[in-house]
Amino acid sequence: MKVLMLGWEFPPFFAGGVGVVCYHLTRALCQQGVDVTYVMPFGPSMLRSDYMRILIADNLFPRLRLQIKTVGSLLGAYATPGSYDADYQKYLASLPSDKRAKALYGPNIFEEARMFAAKVRLIAQFEQFDVIHAHDHWTFPAAIAAKEATAKPMVVHVHITEFDKSGGMSVDQRVYDMEREGMQRADLVIAISNRIKDQLMVHYGVPDWKIRVIHNAAEPALNVSHDAGKIKETDKIVLFVGRVTLQKGPDYYVEAAKKVLEYDPNVKFILAGTGDMLPRMIERVAQLGMTDKFIFPGFANREEVAKLGKIADVFVMPSVSEPFGLVPLEAMAQDTPAIISKQSGVSEVLHHVLKVDFWDVNDLANKIIAVLHYQTLNNQLKQHGAFEVRNLTWDVPASKCVSVYNELMNMKK
Amino acid sequence: MVSVCFYFQVHQPYRLRKYSVFDIGHDSHYFDDVKNSEVMRKVANKCYIPTNKVLLELIRRHKGKFKVSFSISGVALEQFERYAPDVLESFKELARTGCVEFLDETYYHSLSYLYDKEEFKAQVELHRAKIKELFGQEPRVFRNTELVYNNELASFVQEMGHYDAIVAEGADHILGWRSPNFLYTPKTAENMKLLLKNYKLSDDIAFRFSNKGWKEHPLDAGKYSNWVSAVNGNGNVINLFMDYETFGEHQWEDTGIFEFLRHLPEQIFNHPDNDFVTVSEAAKLYPAVAEMDIHNFISWADIERDLSAWLGNPMQNSAAYELYQMGRRVKEAGDAKLLEDWRKLTTSDHLYYMCTKWFSDGDVHKYFNPYDTPYEGFIAFMNSLNDIAIRLRDAKKEKARLEQEAKASLELQSAVQPAIVAEPVLEAPAVVSLPARHFISESPSSLLFD
Repeated sequence: MKVLMLGWEFPPFFAGGVGVVCYHLTRALCQQGVDVTYVMPFGPSMLRSDYMRILIADNLFPRLRLQIKTVGSLLGAYATPGSYDADYQKYLASLPSDKRAKALYGPNIFEEARMFAAKVRLIAQFEQFDVIHAHDHWTFPAAIAAKEATAKPMVVHVHITEFDKSGGMSVDQRVYDMEREGMQRADLVIAISNRIKDQLMVHYGVPDWKIRVIHNAAEPALNVSHDAGKIKETDKIVLFVGRVTLQKGPDYYVEAAKKVLEYDPNVKFILAGTGDMLPRMIERVAQLGMTDKFIFPGFANREEVAKLGKIADVFVMPSVSEPFGLVPLEAMAQDTPAIISKQSGVSEVLHHVLKVDFWDVNDLANKIIAVLHYQTLNNQLKQHGAFEVRNLTWDVPASKCVSVYNELMNMKK
Repeated sequence: MVSVCFYFQVHQPYRLRKYSVFDIGHDSHYFDDVKNSEVMRKVANKCYIPTNKVLLELIRRHKGKFKVSFSISGVALEQFERYAPDVLESFKELARTGCVEFLDETYYHSLSYLYDKEEFKAQVELHRAKIKELFGQEPRVFRNTELVYNNELASFVQEMGHYDAIVAEGADHILGWRSPNFLYTPKTAENMKLLLKNYKLSDDIAFRFSNKGWKEHPLDAGKYSNWVSAVNGNGNVINLFMDYETFGEHQWEDTGIFEFLRHLPEQIFNHPDNDFVTVSEAAKLYPAVAEMDIHNFISWADIERDLSAWLGNPMQNSAAYELYQMGRRVKEAGDAKLLEDWRKLTTSDHLYYMCTKWFSDGDVHKYFNPYDTPYEGFIAFMNSLNDIAIRLRDAKKEKARLEQEAKASLELQSAVQPAIVAEPVLEAPAVVSLPARHFISESPSSLLFD
């Protein structure tokens, strides 16, 4: 079985969870004997700083049949049309004037996606593969191009939709059209949660029969040690990690903190991450008189998240909308009980957590207090949760992908 | 001769509302009246009313030869009175036929026997009074909550003096090669008879009836009667013990369960040696064939047939411990409403909701669970218990104050009339003082603040 996989990021070049997902998924697929050719666009900044590291990533699987092909491009993960324009201007400005004209890259991210598609059309003609598997919408035009060039069956893998990113408030019509066309032209669509599946059916008109839900799995736990020092002598620690944006619900976290502190002043709240709502959150914390109770450590990488998870007594993810949500798994792997919003995809697979509606600040505070004070509850969530996460391994979604590939090949007749 | 002995269990708990930390000390209404009335109405319409109707028809049609036994928990009876008086009326009508026997159990469907035998006795007496009041019967047979049973319990129940027989699960690990279709004598309770559930034939109706993957599906009354009759010569009585909600609620009407029940008696009577008996009739009719030694607790729950559905994890154990360790003081506090609320928390279902066994597989436990997770069940329960603890503290204070007043007025009286000897007033127990906000202690057992 040979798969032409299209993604726009791959570790160490990644901005969000999708690159990590692609890494674990492709690795597990290769272990199951699938021959994956991973094609990704390739930006010049990456070329300069990270080119060698791609080879390192490639070297991760010397005996596995994964090849990484790179295509020159500016396209990076989490690019919005606005930020892409800024990056592109910066990039152009960095070039000597005679080279600018020769810049291979289109003037905007949509142009970029079309360029990627043109190159993939060429690659597809000399690559051997049975199915096309594309991750998220920027690669959808490329997948369509490959399908047109070879008449091979195609599946698109939806990790997030435009409705999640903007909270449904400001859907970019061009992005929506790109997503929708990819889903319509695909033979099957993989959704990473039932939440996403519902959106595809409601907002994109994808029929039920065409969608396969394949939940993500967890990364193997990092082995970290960390010491909270003096804080733990007097206080318990509550942890939030994530982009500080509307989507992640940091405001509900802050309001719940106020209610918790009214009952128990010996609690410290960590709010780790950056984002457009951070200044407002810091102001609100001050306004509620909780400045001495809050810690804002800024952006945390995976190792730092694990360390914070290690010292926390409870992890909270009050996301307003979360296609999946891998962060609670990191905390749970460090033996920390988690409280997650029912509006997250990960809540569809986790049993040994507490679940709240993100808007129900009273219930969130109630559950934080319960986990902090009922030691038996804390222990049970900790033990069962860590066990549950250890069993969420990537071979399960990988074998589900293999079933999808088989379905696709049977469709072809 | 084979006698068929039906005993149906009827029970509905008072489910807790999502009682929050923020309610503690402010609102002592723990129970979800809306949900409880909804569940009661739903089950009444799907099960209690139609099944009672079928039973009444059968009793009339077979001119008193068809008989059944019920055990109805006190909390279910209370909820019939509140939410479904029509159901209660139909049970009374059944009682008046003389073909229906009522068994005794703990009023609150509790596991009190395991923690507090005095409380157990009190709850059984409460139940006995309720059955007498509603149905005019004085039960001769005892069934403990969820068929929790061992030798010691049989002997304790015998000592209570009301009972001729007791029912229990015919678990494989206690029966071994022996058959549940005979009566036994409990070891250490030689005046009692022990009836053991034939779990195979019971579960054929209660669990497998609608299972399309079962090789006997679809099950009809004729086939089932043949299985019953096959016991002839190798047993006296077939004990079919099950939840009454089997009819219409666990097995929906469209599975044909009511038609099955309607035709079962005539099919059973097709074999002239068969009949139906109530539990106490069975106990009178048949001799005990041997002594049954059951040292460890058994129950009718899950594959394990033990206590692990209610007391199988640390949350359940600590919740039960915290609950029962308050019992004596709740009674001493002399506040009737407090005692009633506390007793409603002894209902075993609250512990069952905290069960984590097989929780991930979403099995039978989940079906009966009002909470999304066992953890939420634990939180609502412990929060309620914390409020009980605060009320207990307040009640103690109030009692101490009243006693002080009484003492003062006695002293005044004795100053006037020194001839009257005052009873010494008991020293009021020291009032526990606690920090205002630390209502929950940090102890590993989730111990409350006392």
